[in-house]
Amino acid sequence: MFTRVVIAEAVKSLRIYFFSSRTLFWALALPLGNGLYFYFLYLPFAARSINFEFGQTSFSLDLVGFTLVGQLLYTFFTMMLLAGAAFESERWQGTLESVLLSPANRIAVLFGGALANALNYLWMLIGLTLSWVVFVHVNVVIRDVLALFASLALSYLAIVAVGMCLEALFIYSRRGALYVATLQEPMMFLSGQIFPLSSMPRFLLPLSYLLPLTFGLVAVRLTMLGGATMSDVAIPLSVLVVMTLGFLLLAKLLVNYAERRAKARATLTQF
Amino acid sequence: MRALDKIDFEIPDGELFGLLGPNGAGKTTAVKILCTLLEPTSGHALVKGYDVVKEAHQVQKIVNMVAGGERMLYYRLTGRENLRYFAELYDVPRKDVRKRVETLLELMGLSDRADDDVEKYSKGMRQRLQVCRGLINDPEVLFLDEPTLGLDVNIAKDLRRFIRDRVVKQQGKSVLLTTHYMFEAEEMCDRIGFLNKGRLVAVGTTEELKKKVVSGFSIEMLVARLSDETLDSLKKIESVNNVIMTDYEGEAEGEKVQRLIINVDNDRAVPDVLNHIATHGCRVVAVNLRGPTLEDLFMHYTGEK
Repeated sequence: MFTRVVIAEAVKSLRIYFFSSRTLFWALALPLGNGLYFYFLYLPFAARSINFEFGQTSFSLDLVGFTLVGQLLYTFFTMMLLAGAAFESERWQGTLESVLLSPANRIAVLFGGALANALNYLWMLIGLTLSWVVFVHVNVVIRDVLALFASLALSYLAIVAVGMCLEALFIYSRRGALYVATLQEPMMFLSGQIFPLSSMPRFLLPLSYLLPLTFGLVAVRLTMLGGATMSDVAIPLSVLVVMTLGFLLLAKLLVNYAERRAKARATLTQF
Repeated sequence: MRALDKIDFEIPDGELFGLLGPNGAGKTTAVKILCTLLEPTSGHALVKGYDVVKEAHQVQKIVNMVAGGERMLYYRLTGRENLRYFAELYDVPRKDVRKRVETLLELMGLSDRADDDVEKYSKGMRQRLQVCRGLINDPEVLFLDEPTLGLDVNIAKDLRRFIRDRVVKQQGKSVLLTTHYMFEAEEMCDRIGFLNKGRLVAVGTTEELKKKVVSGFSIEMLVARLSDETLDSLKKIESVNNVIMTDYEGEAEGEKVQRLIINVDNDRAVPDVLNHIATHGCRVVAVNLRGPTLEDLFMHYTGEK
């Protein structure tokens, strides 16, 4: 039943989001504009590289690429949170009760929404990649394609798991979007999206290491820009696996708790 | 605020039970608790033997709900896509999905518009699709919360007939209906419960309830120049059981007219009542003598006018 719900939810979400060819065009155009913005922002530093240390190894990475990967994963992260906001959109559409009335596994519903957004993201990724090729000459160094794929896939799963935890807020309260928006900026800062973690105050580092985005950024940057192999990124990938499982378990508990609390407080139908 | 207070009732298999009450009486709250969308703060409720809180998942498999005037559908999906989606959520056997969706669309007269987006549907069509959604999992217990709200007369009539004849009589399902329409409850329900301020004040068949509280006849009349004094004095006539002044306000020949319902022991009391009103300077515009109706019961049990 889990798989059936995931597929049904993904198909529904895609059908609702991509309701016309114009939507597809704008979904592609948006990251192109975003790429242009980043190009001009980092144009003065285009020739520079950044020294990125991880473990015992030091990697020299293209600065613009470093930032663009940060932007890439952060966009992905935001999208997962938004798709993750599947229940928030159900609330606005007036369909939250009809979904929660059914015996469908809530995590399957969320996962279906996340899957649809991943496909949506893939479409945007094409836009971003095009913008890199057209506007910015990023020095891409990929030696291990499998390691890059694993880094992207595990980052996706871990971020989805975090999104599912935050989803509990959307079920619990109509102010879920506000709570998540408040959490978004600190997560962006702490994960090292635009700057290396080495420039961040040391006392904040423990918080950074609680976020899967931090490890996802390390793994993708190293495999995409630094030519790192699977053994170079084994540690961040392992951490991502553990975090994915941990956050998924936490999400199940939180979502179930939030649903029960919302039913007790009669907040499910509040817009 | 206490929405429901110690209500206690049972619905046997194959019965259509009506829950009536004024706005805010707790009807929708009761329905939502029974289909697991709300948790009661105390007490317990069982649906087919399953506890709605502790065994919510089991309850969700065997119930469904149709609410009037609410969305509960995806407007950017077609009617058919909506039903297929909900069939997946309810884990309807794969081999049955297609047939069940088509059958429901056919039954509700939506087959020819099944591939149109729901946002292009009329209100009546959306409500009929809601009923399809409510039946997609072939529920053992169906909750109908004012299902005909805002529907055309003919569509509402067809829907009532469908629920009564197909869902209850043929398929033997239990149905709990809440409605504001007295004739709807009288036409459809096997038994009725009156809910007032969160309390279940009476339960029984229409006939049982009529016998319990209203005897004899009701004189329904439109009267002009009615005063509080006349109203009080009417209650003192020996054969008069009860006098209710409704909210109705009309006009006849330039005079304000009010609607009275006077319950009397027998038809011999009618001349006494008419004579009494005439001698108090009131003008009777229209008179109708009838047996007690569900509306009389509603007003009696809920104190509503």
